[in-house]
Amino acid sequence: MARYLAKRILQIIPVLLILTFIIFCLVYVAGDPVALMLPPEAGTEARESLRAALGLDKPFHEQFIIYITNLLHGDFGTSYEYNQDALQLVLERLPYSAQLAAVAFVASVILGVVLGIASAQYKDTPFDLLVSALSALGQAMPGFWVAIMLILLFSVNMKVLPVSGAGGFEHIILPATTLTIMTAAKIVPLIRSNMIEVMHQDYIRTAKSKGLKNSAIVFKHAFKNVLVPVITIVAMQIPTLMGGALITETIFAWPGLGMLIYRGVANLDMSVVQAGVLMVAFITILANLISDIAYCLIDPSIRY
Amino acid sequence: MKDNVLLSVKNLSVKFKTLDGMNTIIEGNSFDVKKGEVLCMVGESGCGKSLTSLAIMGLIEKPGIAKADEIMLDGEDISGYSEEALRKLRGNKMSMIFQEPLTSLNPLFTIGNQMDEVFRLHRKMDRAECRKNSIEMLRFVGIPAPESVYKRYPVALSGGMRQRVMIAMALSCRPKLLIADEPTTALDVTIQRQILNLMQSLRKELDTSIILITHDLSVVAEMADRVIVMYAGQIVEQADVRDLFKKPLHPYTEGLINSTIRLGEKCERLKTIPGTVPNNENMPKGCRFHPRCPFATDRCRNEQPQLINVEGREVRCFRYEGSEN
Repeated sequence: MARYLAKRILQIIPVLLILTFIIFCLVYVAGDPVALMLPPEAGTEARESLRAALGLDKPFHEQFIIYITNLLHGDFGTSYEYNQDALQLVLERLPYSAQLAAVAFVASVILGVVLGIASAQYKDTPFDLLVSALSALGQAMPGFWVAIMLILLFSVNMKVLPVSGAGGFEHIILPATTLTIMTAAKIVPLIRSNMIEVMHQDYIRTAKSKGLKNSAIVFKHAFKNVLVPVITIVAMQIPTLMGGALITETIFAWPGLGMLIYRGVANLDMSVVQAGVLMVAFITILANLISDIAYCLIDPSIRY
Repeated sequence: MKDNVLLSVKNLSVKFKTLDGMNTIIEGNSFDVKKGEVLCMVGESGCGKSLTSLAIMGLIEKPGIAKADEIMLDGEDISGYSEEALRKLRGNKMSMIFQEPLTSLNPLFTIGNQMDEVFRLHRKMDRAECRKNSIEMLRFVGIPAPESVYKRYPVALSGGMRQRVMIAMALSCRPKLLIADEPTTALDVTIQRQILNLMQSLRKELDTSIILITHDLSVVAEMADRVIVMYAGQIVEQADVRDLFKKPLHPYTEGLINSTIRLGEKCERLKTIPGTVPNNENMPKGCRFHPRCPFATDRCRNEQPQLINVEGREVRCFRYEGSEN
């Protein structure tokens, strides 16, 4: 177990390096930040001198090496827009994203597990059909549309919840609901289909022939087996919620990572985009690691 | 009910609800299991052996429906029992082991955890007692180093070991009835022998009646006191094992016995029963076996034979009418 863990953690290093390279490449080809930073009437000379000052005149590989070296020193560059350290900015926004993601993730998992198990138990009943229809609807509705509809209903018409921004708990309800609808809609059918499959396994028949209660069969024998195929996909919702909630965060003006990256892209504020995307990538790797450890704890055959 | 009868099944049917209506798989089967005997059920795949045993346990799942006029187990009619009442009998008064030892244990829980459940559930024992009894049971079925096996996961055990664990689990509460659904089919021949021997000796020790489902006639010859031969959902013959092998009455039984190889016999080509088991949706009219029967007459093609008593055994064939007793 300890060896496996050490191996998995060491594997993170090359993954991070490759990711950094890809992100750097994408930003390199994205456009010329100098064009944006200087007024249109600025002369060629001014442009060239700014380029030289930023190191943008150097060849590609040199720029990358400088970039990596700076990263290792904790220097993620300076935001052109905010005139602030990019990493600082990302770290400031991270708690907001984490807060929103945590609420949405917990709600989605609870909703997904409860509805998924219930609809598998009552397979082919009207309840199951309703749950399946709702989760299909949840997956089909675009997030931005759900967000706007929620704002219209609860903020504009009923005037019970704030339209946007961050503040008290009431601010988090609508964006979290939007994300929960989208995430739970993915988890419900996943749990349902895996549960149905597991309930047909031989060991479930054994459990029944022992005289176990249905609740013990479902929640002990079946559920742990359902977790095995489900855990990675569920864990991968964490980075999706933390950094991938660009649109939801932007619509609700939630000052999180997603909105920061979105604004960075819109303004070609590349240091911020790089730092933000790297952070999301790091969270993804972390979530992956967590799901691998969880596998190890659940399934003894992986340990052997 | 006679004193020496443990289980008496009257008119058991299993139907499945399909899109085209009800599909009857097992029709009107009645049989008894005596105390301490081994009753073998034989027949080709799909003839309803497993469903019969699942129906006794009350484990037929939707869309299946099991119905019986009476299932008397040790003096109580369990045919009308609720799920809750049946649950208390399962693993306690009657228990079951299955064909696939490799998949019949939950891979994510230790052997001990899965063994303990039975004691906790039916005997309300605490953790320490459960552990003690589980290890005792593992030792009882001949598992070496039971203390260490107790802590292992199923993945660490071989198929034969896992089947031993299944047997230990099934016998934990000293059931009156053990149903073994092809317990040795998935095992090596040498392991098969060990498991069969184990079942024989445990039966003697615990005085458990066994319903052994198999399609292997050598297992029947070795284990059975009595034999039920099933074909296409119906009992076609019921007899003591010696009588059955000495003189099979039903043409199907005869065909089954003839299609085995005997040691020392010159045999160019293995005999088979021509044709295949009929499909449920399109059961032949009359006797279900007539399309494959060398003795089929017009009557067999049109009329269903009933089980009749011949020389203290039962057979479903017109050829024995008149010799009933």
